[in-house]
Amino acid sequence: MSTISKTDVKTRMRALDLIKENFKRLLDELDKSGKLHLVFPKRALSNTIYDQKSKILLLGPDVQYRSFTDINEAKKFTQTILMASIVYEALRNNEYPTIRDLFYRGKHTISYTSIDGKKVSENSWDDQRESDSVIRDLEVFLNILREDLLILSKEKGKVVGNLIIKSGDDTIDLSKMGHGAYAIEPTPDLIDFIDVDAEYVLVVEKDAVFQQLHRYGFWKKNKAILVTSAGQPDRATRRFVRRLSEEFKLPVYILCDSDPYGFYIYSVFKAGSITLSYESERLATPTAKFIGVTLTDIFGTEIFKEILRDPQIKNTLEEIAKDVLKLKSKEPYLSIEERRNFVIKAKLRDIERAVELVGYRVAEACIGSPEYRSKIKRKEGVSGYPWFLTPEWIRELCIFFYTTSKLEIEAITGKGLRFLADIYIPRKIENEDWID
Amino acid sequence: MSAISEEKYMSISPAEFFYKYREVAGFANPVKAFYQVVKELIDNALDATDMHGILPDVKISIEKADEVQEYYKITVEDNGIGIPPDVVPYAFGKVLFSSKYVMKQSRGMYGLGVKMVVLYAQMTTGRPVEVITSRENYRMIYYFKLRIDINKNEPVIIERGAWRKTRDWHGTVVSVTIEGDWSRAKQRILEYLSRTSIITPYANITLITPENEIIHYSRVTNAMPKPPRESKPHPRGIDLEMFKTLINNNGNGEEPVEEFLTSNFQSIGPSTARAILNLAKIDPYKKLHELTESEIQRLFNIIKSYDKYKPPSATSLSPLGREVLEAGLKRIFEPEFLYAVTRSPRSYEGNPFIVEAAISYGGNTPMSPQEQPIILRYANRVPLIYDESTDVVTQVVKEDVNWESYMISFPAPLAIIVHICSTKIPFKGVGKESIADIPEIRREVKLAIMEVARELKRYLVKKVKEKEVMRRVEILAKYIPEVARSLATILGDNSSKNRIEAALTRKLIEYVSRRSNVSVEIVNSIVKSVEIGV
Repeated sequence: MSTISKTDVKTRMRALDLIKENFKRLLDELDKSGKLHLVFPKRALSNTIYDQKSKILLLGPDVQYRSFTDINEAKKFTQTILMASIVYEALRNNEYPTIRDLFYRGKHTISYTSIDGKKVSENSWDDQRESDSVIRDLEVFLNILREDLLILSKEKGKVVGNLIIKSGDDTIDLSKMGHGAYAIEPTPDLIDFIDVDAEYVLVVEKDAVFQQLHRYGFWKKNKAILVTSAGQPDRATRRFVRRLSEEFKLPVYILCDSDPYGFYIYSVFKAGSITLSYESERLATPTAKFIGVTLTDIFGTEIFKEILRDPQIKNTLEEIAKDVLKLKSKEPYLSIEERRNFVIKAKLRDIERAVELVGYRVAEACIGSPEYRSKIKRKEGVSGYPWFLTPEWIRELCIFFYTTSKLEIEAITGKGLRFLADIYIPRKIENEDWID
Repeated sequence: MSAISEEKYMSISPAEFFYKYREVAGFANPVKAFYQVVKELIDNALDATDMHGILPDVKISIEKADEVQEYYKITVEDNGIGIPPDVVPYAFGKVLFSSKYVMKQSRGMYGLGVKMVVLYAQMTTGRPVEVITSRENYRMIYYFKLRIDINKNEPVIIERGAWRKTRDWHGTVVSVTIEGDWSRAKQRILEYLSRTSIITPYANITLITPENEIIHYSRVTNAMPKPPRESKPHPRGIDLEMFKTLINNNGNGEEPVEEFLTSNFQSIGPSTARAILNLAKIDPYKKLHELTESEIQRLFNIIKSYDKYKPPSATSLSPLGREVLEAGLKRIFEPEFLYAVTRSPRSYEGNPFIVEAAISYGGNTPMSPQEQPIILRYANRVPLIYDESTDVVTQVVKEDVNWESYMISFPAPLAIIVHICSTKIPFKGVGKESIADIPEIRREVKLAIMEVARELKRYLVKKVKEKEVMRRVEILAKYIPEVARSLATILGDNSSKNRIEAALTRKLIEYVSRRSNVSVEIVNSIVKSVEIGV
């Protein structure tokens, strides 16, 4: 027992009690009201709300009844209880299953003989997507995050900087990681922050760029805590960033590719994701700022003025975001020639993703390529996510649609790592040249 | 057919009649003739039994009767009422006249069938008919060997005998030897027998073939249709010829015309007779022989056009009834669902008729063709095997009934029986194998089929619903062991886990049973069959 950290033991006991309590209540209700159902907040896009005040995605008020006697829900009901029992057993046996482990532990056949004598067989679940979804259901039913059930996932996020933490029973200085970095553990809530000496947090989407900045000594020079999510951020990285922001009031800057996927990664850090909106309250960092790369960093704002000469575009954009004309103008960071070298043409998938962010109307008004114009027609009616319908983002995506161009951060390093580390990032922070 | 038709031909020698009409009577070739002989003898055997309230035991044996020639001896034995010895020579050797007009449902054709059989045997093999018969209260059994003198239309008794009964036997055994084509007639005869057996589940029928095969249909019910009663003709059902014959054959012609009408027809009482005679401007007391030709014609016209008669009585009819129809279908098809209906009597042109229908679904009911159910047609208990496409029943099945609305799509394991009984079946053409499209009959056939189809639909709907309920129960029940086991893992410890799991399983079974209205046993049986793999 002594090899296991005290924090884990405590977490374990709490989780065991919580599961037992909830399922005991389930049976009590069966005895009392003759109903056997799980009640929990509905996890669906229709019940995902963007809270304008806190600027995060939240679960709405809709409740879901998963009844055992509803033939459409019986399997999910069974799966949820099966998952609870597997998690419960793992907790009791001092284990740390991953979501993949849980998928395998619960996967088995259920066969029976039907009334007409046929042997019928099915799997408790068929793929991990199915069991992952059940885990999410269990989280909302128990009102607890899976990390607190000691369910682990692959470590993906990394961090370096002037930060001392206690993880388990060990104290770790994140400024002494050599060329490596601290891999953010799947249970960031079990980390104690001992000491921090930093002015801001810089989150980099790309692992390669993170490594370059780390070796360049960026975080030492700029008193930054450097984090990478290595692509789509996992829950642990998001929670870790959130804690830094919340507990030390550190500004958080996000550096991503200049394309709709990069923009969305930023929004996941800032507002939360749609599938995991029930965790946004704990995972989202509403103060996070998108530092780049923006389309206006590449093209400047002159091009936007040109676009707005078309009165039809101007009217459409004004209707969607009134202040789109009052935005500050700025010069590009790239010369015309650099732009020609670094920028790549956006693919249809990028365009379609962008339509999801700001809606079909913006795309239809601004899009430069007649080829794409006809192809995105089927997205008609998509109205965009509310947190992207701000003047700044509309200007960005308007330029994106108009030029059908995108840019990866690596391209900026092509202009020189020094440019990125010593000029681009510091200047953008200094000038408050970000999107909030 | 009724005895009326006999009267039409009373002045024709049976021999002449037969030569003229052998095709009409079905003796056109060695195949048809073989079939017809067997059919006539079986029909007579059944008429002698079930039409008199006797449960039939009918034995048919067909033997090769000559080494070289295609001669076959056909023997049919029944346990019917038997024939008085003095009647036997005339019943087999001369067309009998009836002095009275009576109407009654029976199988036989023209009443001439058996004489034709005798004549056909005489024509082809020259061998006489042999008859053994006795009635219930006789102490003797009588034996005859006879032939017909074709020119004189007289029976010639070749041999006769009698012996004392040693056991309580009544019935008739008839043997004839004919030339025929057994190999080609066999299928027809077996089909006829099988179809006959469907509607005579109360009969034991045994056939021994020349190959010594035994085909046996054993009695499965003692329920029998009520025998028909003789009745007088309905005025709307007669024709002028018949009417004149009735007048001419009426004793010495001294009877007043009013009395003649009331005593020879059903549905004519004194007041109706007066009304008719009044319309015909004929004195009710005028004697029959005093009627002039034009008066007879006038009277006949009035009788036919008078429209206030009561409908014809159905006592002369003998429908099979639901019980018999259902027992017959059950014996042959063991269907999953069957239903039979006997409609109320109706009439067309003064002839009473009753339509019966039965439906057989699933079980061993054979698959139907692509477009329609299997149709088994019967008229006066005789199966109609040929000319199906022109029959009114087929027309109704194909044109008047929308099978889809009864949840049937073809092919389906579905057979429909339609039995029409009447004192006069309106056959189409000379083959006597298909019934004409008479609007009154068509309507009744349609209603009867719709009624049985409706019951089938009700059954099918119920079945679908039950299946749906069971499907739902299965979906829930199969998860009970998993849910119980998982909950027991959470709520119990090592010592209490199994107990909790068992208790939860019981509780969940009861819960599902209650919610789905399916018995605990059924839910339990599914739960027991569940295997959870690893």
